Amino acid sequence: MIRVQFFGPVAERVGACEVQVAFKAGMRLQDVREQLKTKYPAAFEIVCFAAVNGEHVRDMSLPLQEGSEVVFMSKFSGG
Amino acid sequence: MRDPVRLQQEDFSLDEEVAALRASSKRMGGIATFIGCARDFSEGRKVTQISFDAYGSMALAEMNKLRDEAIAKFALLDARIVHRVGMVRAGEQIVFIAAGAEHRAPALQACHWLIDELKQRVPIWKKEITPQGEAWVTPHP
Repeated sequence: MIRVQFFGPVAERVGACEVQVAFKAGMRLQDVREQLKTKYPAAFEIVCFAAVNGEHVRDMSLPLQEGSEVVFMSKFSGG
Repeated sequence: MRDPVRLQQEDFSLDEEVAALRASSKRMGGIATFIGCARDFSEGRKVTQISFDAYGSMALAEMNKLRDEAIAKFALLDARIVHRVGMVRAGEQIVFIAAGAEHRAPALQACHWLIDELKQRVPIWKKEITPQGEAWVTPHP
């Protein structure tokens, strides 16, 4: 499984802080994004950044592994 | 001594943080501090509280990276960054930054750089709570 977490405004639009996506061999970050974007279009309207296993990822073709932790985030507003 | 980089629900003490910074070196000739506070008015609305959500592990890692980068970039002797999460009432403190250097210029520059970078790079989100309802804040450029 791929564990996908959401925070702040994205979590509110998804209606959950975490969902799980079934892992398939050869799966890439963009595959998870497309799958979830279809399910939660309003949330993905504001998604600007992604992280995998705690690291910022800009390359959406990054291959994922079984057990990868993915986060889709909107622009930050701390401080 | 408390960690120089922290995410915490409770308020922080300016005096304790500055004392901890000063304890790290007697060569410090300049200390610059920044405190971000919760305003009670925003975008034409009264704000009673601000709720902060964070991707905790990544936020802390990014804050530590920022501190390391600031120390290297501005030749600081020490720096501290504290950000609150959870519910903060209007008028309360949100974020603390301190930069200590041999001279004032790098301390002031580092303090300014740190808060600007924190806003861009640290995964924290704020929601303003008003008598009319709640709204996530869209970041200012």
